[in-house]
Amino acid sequence: MSFVQATDLTRTFDLSDPFIVRAISRTPKRILTAVDKVSFSIEKGTTYALVGESGSGKSTIAKMAVGLLKPTDGSLLVDGMNLNDPKLAKEETLALRRRIQMVFQSPYASLNPRWKVKDILCEPIKAFKLIENPKAQIDRVHELLEQVGLASSDSNKFPHEFSGGQRQRISIARALSSEPEIIVCDEPTSALDVSVQAQVLNLLKSLQKEYALTYLFITHDLAVVSTMANKIGVLNQGKLVEEQTPEVLFSEPKNSYTKMLLNAAPKINF
Amino acid sequence: MLRFLKSDFIYDFLRAPVAIISFSVISILVLSAIFAQYIAPTNPFDPASLELMNGFTPPMEPNMFTGEVFLLGTDDQGRDLFSAILYGLRISLFVGLMAVSLAMIMGVLLGLIAGYVGGWLDNFIMRLADIQMTFPSILIAMLIFGVARGLLPPELRYEMAITVLIISIGLSEWVPFARTVRGSTMVEKEKEYIAAAQLIGLKKWQIMIRHILPNVLGPVLVIATITFALAIIAEATLSFLGVGAPRTEPSLGTLIRVGQDFLFSGEWWILLFPALTLLALALAVNLLGDWLRDTLNPRLK
Amino acid sequence: MEENLLEVRNISVTFKSRYGVLKALDNLSLNVKKGEILGLVGESGAGKSMTGAAILGLIDPPGRLSSGEIYFKGKSISNAPEAVRGHEISMIFQDPLMSLNPLRKIGDQLVETILTHMNISKSEAIKRAKNGLKEVGIDPSRLNSYPHTFSGGMRQRVVIALALAPEPSLIIADEPTTALDVSVQAQILDLLKKLCKDRGTSIILVTHDMGVIAETTDRVGVLYAGRLAEIGDTRDVLTDPKHPYTRGLVDSTPRIDSNSFKKSLFQIPGSMPKLDAMPSGCAFHPRCEFATEICRKKIPQILLDRSACWLLNDGEL
Repeated sequence: MSFVQATDLTRTFDLSDPFIVRAISRTPKRILTAVDKVSFSIEKGTTYALVGESGSGKSTIAKMAVGLLKPTDGSLLVDGMNLNDPKLAKEETLALRRRIQMVFQSPYASLNPRWKVKDILCEPIKAFKLIENPKAQIDRVHELLEQVGLASSDSNKFPHEFSGGQRQRISIARALSSEPEIIVCDEPTSALDVSVQAQVLNLLKSLQKEYALTYLFITHDLAVVSTMANKIGVLNQGKLVEEQTPEVLFSEPKNSYTKMLLNAAPKINF
Repeated sequence: MLRFLKSDFIYDFLRAPVAIISFSVISILVLSAIFAQYIAPTNPFDPASLELMNGFTPPMEPNMFTGEVFLLGTDDQGRDLFSAILYGLRISLFVGLMAVSLAMIMGVLLGLIAGYVGGWLDNFIMRLADIQMTFPSILIAMLIFGVARGLLPPELRYEMAITVLIISIGLSEWVPFARTVRGSTMVEKEKEYIAAAQLIGLKKWQIMIRHILPNVLGPVLVIATITFALAIIAEATLSFLGVGAPRTEPSLGTLIRVGQDFLFSGEWWILLFPALTLLALALAVNLLGDWLRDTLNPRLK
Repeated sequence: MEENLLEVRNISVTFKSRYGVLKALDNLSLNVKKGEILGLVGESGAGKSMTGAAILGLIDPPGRLSSGEIYFKGKSISNAPEAVRGHEISMIFQDPLMSLNPLRKIGDQLVETILTHMNISKSEAIKRAKNGLKEVGIDPSRLNSYPHTFSGGMRQRVVIALALAPEPSLIIADEPTTALDVSVQAQILDLLKKLCKDRGTSIILVTHDMGVIAETTDRVGVLYAGRLAEIGDTRDVLTDPKHPYTRGLVDSTPRIDSNSFKKSLFQIPGSMPKLDAMPSGCAFHPRCEFATEICRKKIPQILLDRSACWLLNDGEL
């Protein structure tokens, strides 16, 4: 059993009009299948990338992986346990939550604009009761900031005092503060400039080496995936159409959608 | 604090004449009300200090019986109008402030819950709001006032007048707060920092109070200033109609009602000065609120 | 020597803030020839959108075009951009949702644009509108549809049709594909290239994506902190950059390559300076491994028609 195992993961959304409207206008129910029987497995310490365009279902899978959405069918197990299992006790659910964290796409919406950085980073530590002593908590906050390439003095500032790239670093520090084993990265660099993106991607890679982290990396950019992933899964409209290592995927793509994506991606080739 | 004084907000404030003037007017009135007992020559609420013979004295003219001079004249019972205005301001400001606070707390909480929890609770609260908005707030205030009066035994009616006034005005003004906060809450709820808070297992109420509340309070301040002006006018109206502050401890509204009776018999000052004070207060608060709303608007980059 | 369609000479855009006078664009010069696609690449805040806005006189106060001249077809337009705006020079913005009025049918908007700039009858305008839609690959019968019934890519095609309707000589496209999926992006860029060739329209393509620049543009200008760092033929600039920043940008762009997983991406240390904290001399020197004394002291101008770098003359690079 792999560390992260998705089996026939499915998620539908009911977009139908309210019952009365449907009854009067006699329109059928509209169900959107955002994720359709997707299965994949991630080995501990590796990066699995999910690539797709908008509407492919990648963000929905990311949300299910961290427990923000429940699957309508199928399962996503982390170390054999299911976040959505109703039989799990409260403490067990909390303990499992601590092990899976997320880095979000938008550097602007992912940090509470009214909180100081030190409070943002301290919150998970307090919520998971990792450190009780307030002074030790502050030390840990400083340690986290330095790990992501920021200064201890930054802990007293507000998010708007930082650039987009720095904010993503703070987001990464926040994810690290719960001492997780898995981090789901939902398009973490899509909103960043190229040179900043390089810094953040390198940071993610070095953190993975240092802490043996497992990444589920969501993106639409095949080039980014190429530097980050051990294995790539290509999603098209909710279905997993191809799954390969980068070497094979880029040289011998089998699925027509994958081939189309590879062709369409703008390249610096002369 | 120092950071606040150096902030862009203060910078803009010092460059807006409207804001400076309004703020100064409000400050003067508030300070006068707070220190009324030191500024006012007499205590108009003490029936023993009143001399009926002083009544109907025009401003700055010696009374024909006692020879006393009053800055703004006296009312029909011999009260020095200047003192009465200062003490009356106290009541108006106190009622206004307390009523706004009540409306604000109620409205913000209901708005947060409606916006964050959604579903039938949201529907229920919003329909309550809709129903309430179909009635003019004075009517609602009078309704609550009447019910309270009916429920309270006669001895308490007098003392509780101010409390009932506050509750009735407060309960009639919560809707704008709730609607605005609900809208902002629904926007903030979709932002990723809320998802991050959910990921660490925080309960709904913790997320609402710790994360969403600080981010939706911005427009609340503006609505509060405007509601404050409304509350003061509401209090004056209720007192004017005779269901507010009593005759012996008059607020500005009561004074205006009294003054109205005597306007056409020539004692114009009893109406004019309290009315001018009320006008100045309400106008200043409204203008300041308007300016606040424009300044606090997130600027385009 | 072919005459330039557009000549931008030493323009500066400044605005007053409580921190002093900030230069969003500093002494920028560039040219666009007839029928070419010029790319403007840079990171957020570098000034690439500002350049497009400056050409069309769309800078909002407190910003203003404080110096320099802009010539279009030989005539100065710096003081009177309205004459050419929307007609000879049109613009495409990033978000198609914002460019199209959601309450109006696209046909109405198209016809209105045509009638504003051409003295023809309404029925003639409708014919042109239908042709315009066909050219961008949309079924002309959709003239009567509303914007929300189109997908993102289709909407951007409508916006392109709108921009082409008055038959401009120059289109300024400000990040036209950034909000679109990769597959749709490829189609839109191909469309722009085809239209440019067929009609001889010049395009200024503003983007932050080096790959888009490589595949779409003939020449490219690299902007950094409001100044032009390098300008030249796209192939030359991207394969043999003559400015350390350009080289850093090219090197830090991830490539689709099976070997890249094992290495780290090249990264330029630090970040672009904010307008109120510009370094002395060359704006890039604090992050540049080749910086010398003169780089710290004097602001470099474009040398050899190619790069604003003091090291250019001394060989190297």
